[in-house]
Amino acid sequence: MQTIETPMRRFNPDEEVDYAIVGVGAGGGVLLQRLARAGFHVVGFDAGPFWDTERDWVSDEKGSHQLYWNDERITTGKHPLALGENNSGKGVGGGTVHWASFTPRFHPSDFRVYSQDGVGADWPISYWDLKPYYELIERELPVAGPAYYPWGDPHGYPYGPHPMGGVGDALIRGCTKLGIGVCAGGPVGILSASRADRPHCIYRGFCIQGCKVGAKASTLVTHVPDALAKGAEIRDRSMVSRVNLGNNRRVNGVSYFDRDGREHFQKAKAVVVAGYAIETPRLLLNSGLANSSGTVGRYLMVQAGNVVLGRFDQPVRMYKAPPAHALTEEFYETDPKRGFARGFAIQTVGPLPIAFAKQMMAAKGAWGWGMRRIMMDYNHWAAFGLLGEILPSADNRVEIATDQKDHWGIPVAKVTFNLYDNDQKLIAFGKRKTIDVMWAAGAEEVVQESRYAHLVGAARMGRNPETSVVDSFGRTHDVANLFVCDGSVMPTQGSANPGLTIMAIAARTADYLIEQGDAIFSSDRRDMRPPKFRRDLSPPDTWGHGMPAL
Amino acid sequence: MSLAVTVREGRFQRWLSLMAAVSSAASGLEVAYEHYKGSYSRRIMYTPVILSGALAGAGLAGFFSRKAAVTILRGTSILTLADSATGFYFHILGVKRKPGGWRLPMTNIVMGPPIFAPLLFGTAAYLGLLASFMRRDNDRDDLLLPKPAHAKHWAARIGYAHEPITWEQDLREGRFQKNLAVATAFSALFSGFEAWYSHYKNNFRYKAQWTPVVLAPVLLGAAIAGVKDRKSAQTLLPAASALAIVDGGVGFFYHARGVMRRPGGMRKPLYNVIYGPPIFAPLLFAAAGFLGVLASMLGREKKS
Amino acid sequence: MSRPHPGYYPGFRTLEQRRYWDAHTREVILDRVNNVPPIRFFSEDEARLMEAVCRHILPQDDRDKENWIPILPWIDSRMHENSGDGYRYEEMPPDREAYRLGLQAIEQIAQHLHGRGFLEIGEKAQDELLATLHDGKPPAAHDIWARMPIERFWRLLVQDCVSAYYSHPTAWDEIGFGGPAYPRAYMRLERGDPEPWEVEERRYEWSAPEDSVSDRYTPIGGQSEHHGGPQGGTH
Repeated sequence: MQTIETPMRRFNPDEEVDYAIVGVGAGGGVLLQRLARAGFHVVGFDAGPFWDTERDWVSDEKGSHQLYWNDERITTGKHPLALGENNSGKGVGGGTVHWASFTPRFHPSDFRVYSQDGVGADWPISYWDLKPYYELIERELPVAGPAYYPWGDPHGYPYGPHPMGGVGDALIRGCTKLGIGVCAGGPVGILSASRADRPHCIYRGFCIQGCKVGAKASTLVTHVPDALAKGAEIRDRSMVSRVNLGNNRRVNGVSYFDRDGREHFQKAKAVVVAGYAIETPRLLLNSGLANSSGTVGRYLMVQAGNVVLGRFDQPVRMYKAPPAHALTEEFYETDPKRGFARGFAIQTVGPLPIAFAKQMMAAKGAWGWGMRRIMMDYNHWAAFGLLGEILPSADNRVEIATDQKDHWGIPVAKVTFNLYDNDQKLIAFGKRKTIDVMWAAGAEEVVQESRYAHLVGAARMGRNPETSVVDSFGRTHDVANLFVCDGSVMPTQGSANPGLTIMAIAARTADYLIEQGDAIFSSDRRDMRPPKFRRDLSPPDTWGHGMPAL
Repeated sequence: MSLAVTVREGRFQRWLSLMAAVSSAASGLEVAYEHYKGSYSRRIMYTPVILSGALAGAGLAGFFSRKAAVTILRGTSILTLADSATGFYFHILGVKRKPGGWRLPMTNIVMGPPIFAPLLFGTAAYLGLLASFMRRDNDRDDLLLPKPAHAKHWAARIGYAHEPITWEQDLREGRFQKNLAVATAFSALFSGFEAWYSHYKNNFRYKAQWTPVVLAPVLLGAAIAGVKDRKSAQTLLPAASALAIVDGGVGFFYHARGVMRRPGGMRKPLYNVIYGPPIFAPLLFAAAGFLGVLASMLGREKKS
Repeated sequence: MSRPHPGYYPGFRTLEQRRYWDAHTREVILDRVNNVPPIRFFSEDEARLMEAVCRHILPQDDRDKENWIPILPWIDSRMHENSGDGYRYEEMPPDREAYRLGLQAIEQIAQHLHGRGFLEIGEKAQDELLATLHDGKPPAAHDIWARMPIERFWRLLVQDCVSAYYSHPTAWDEIGFGGPAYPRAYMRLERGDPEPWEVEERRYEWSAPEDSVSDRYTPIGGQSEHHGGPQGGTH
């Protein structure tokens, strides 16, 4: 239950602020909070509303439609992506409002995919650059999980693991039967014990409809309140249409439409675009900025998100407990024996009735009486989600649709997506393995639906300005005071849910911007030394809770 | 001296200290993982873990040294009792803070902090406190002529000043049957309540889950009767207590088996111990029975 | 053969828990139940046709008529408000146009097969006609399907129908779903145990009308059975 007690600061319309941040989601929310805490004048824009969790959200599947980016986008390619509720948020908190909140870290190998496997790309930073930020964000959310998490760089979590629901039990049963290591009760950004004014999880299962309880972390409840208390302004229902290029190849502000459709210009000494993997490239392309390499919009990635559904003789009632509460990363790394690069994770999912009906339509072709029949068995089904790494490809991309505009008159995004050989092999193998686990759990019927999860890439970071859009601090290669701070900077994506990593990157970018200070506003010189890690920028109440790190 | 006499005369400070130590260690283990489930989200959640360690140490010290029993054990016990009262308060607060608060009493008692657990934790401290007032089995101070407790006692006439019997003296001489029967009653009430709602949470899927729920009121009744008269304390109370001890033992077995039968079984030992049926809980119920047995063996408080 | 409330959870009523829901959720759900929107987007003829189609996509003949869950009004309302899902497949027309085209195509197929409109061809024939859409093998209206992939239209139609049906408390009672749960919460998370206010499953022989063709499972587009995963065709 979030209450914003400080009256929000309002900057004078003509005032030149230090930073304009476009999009207050996972990345933008963390960055906004830190810049405000460091004393910068900062305004965050979000196209959606500033949610009042008690008044605006419902404990209902259909009633939560408003949380997603529902404005039109075009989707195409050989394997066109479903967008909307599947992978987008609109409103303060962004996607973290309706993420399931799985928060595994990336593995060290994720940052060196090209060096290790000869595919994809290397990151300009390593796991060890991000590690302290992972630890920090895991405390700030905080993340609940086991005291020892064995995969990637082994570590423990500050909050204890959650109890299992029916789906988690099935995953544990199936995995242990097959001798596959499996992790129960996390890692998820959901409180397993209350903290300050946030109560702990009540296991009602409506995580991806927005957590009214306040137990699930979203930047709306974890970072935005502190940002406002420290003097940041958030302009909600404000759609940024353009980042404006001024003199000397530097940007000088953003144009935006306010909630009444009036257009304004906000002057800023630097601009950060944090609109996620479709809106960020759309804004950059519509502004004609940062694309000397031609890579803006390219290397868009989703993860294979096949849902495997099993029917059990005994009831499961998978609507109870958070959808996210157990997983295995046993197949995360490349195994040459499998005949493809990279790997996948298997996680619990808990579709509510409408989502489940849609899955049954896709997986079994159910309709009519058959749909009624299978739905009457809803309580007997459990669902696992595959989370498989799909490699970046230049042809998977976001472009501007030339012939279509949204209701603000801004050209919309067109998303093209195809699977390639390695992706298809990986999906086929991962799907089979997930189905095996479901059988081993004791299912008497198993079906699956092919789908995708998450969206990253499309403004990737790299050392080479000819093949990437931003450097390792999110600064565009072309414009010295224009930054990107969201999932679109990722060169590869691993098979971990991206939210935590987006926040960790944002915290690192914040440290960099704060350390550079006024130099960002006045100089084109790029200091590429990593910033000093700061732990004094966390929201209040981050410390003094949870277990000490092991 | 036979065991019965030792107990009746309250010459078991060593053994009661040891018992306080053992039960403190057991409940310390339980509170450690229960609070781990609660993520140690408040720093105060460390206190019972630390205190249970301290109390176990003090109990052990009390076993070896009378001085330790009277000083360290008594001090630690009082501190622990205070902590368990504080814990009780925070647990009630915790239930109230959950969404729906007391409008959803069952849900929030079941899913919130276990409200009576801190008081059960206090049992060990209570034992420690008792022990600190008792005599040791090799004490010889009773060879001295006791000071008369009654004003009309003949000894008063030959010069001894009258000294009314104090509760310390009762304790020292093992006359605290009523006191311990009251403790048995509370203990039965609390752990019976815990058994009731946690088995309710589990939908009473096994018939055996009803047994502590049925036995707890029986033990409670017997203990209350034991407060009222000596005869019940020596017949009803030990019978009900013995049943509770047996039931606790059986429950311990079922709980341990329940942990093994969870998904993943012993391949996920820690997780399943933490989230499976609480394996120490039946032992706490048995402990209530044990208090009852002990009470039945004691002498009753004398009136001054 | 119809019951007031079909389903394996006799007497289960999620609405009875409504005083344990938060105010806003209660408002939204009660509004959904009590204030069904009028038809504003579809014409009268379209609405009649669409109503008949919805009755086959999610038939309710086993339920007493007064308890039927409205479906068409919610599709109409979405079209009226032109509210989207955040994306459009490039080869698909916008949803409003897709529905109009789809209804035309259904009429054309009915005329082609039976020489009569969809509403006049009888229940079984209607079922069979819709099954050709499901199978991706429509016998007529090829010019329409050239403008709009039949599989995408089918998915649009079924998705809209299930969204309306399974968002209704009556459907939750039917399938034993607990409905809104804040601050209500759950405590029996494992083994499918019912909450104290939920109901144990009691199964009975539930059967579709004998002449229906939709009570079987074949993949959309009518590929071979192996495509839908192992045991794709069982029920």
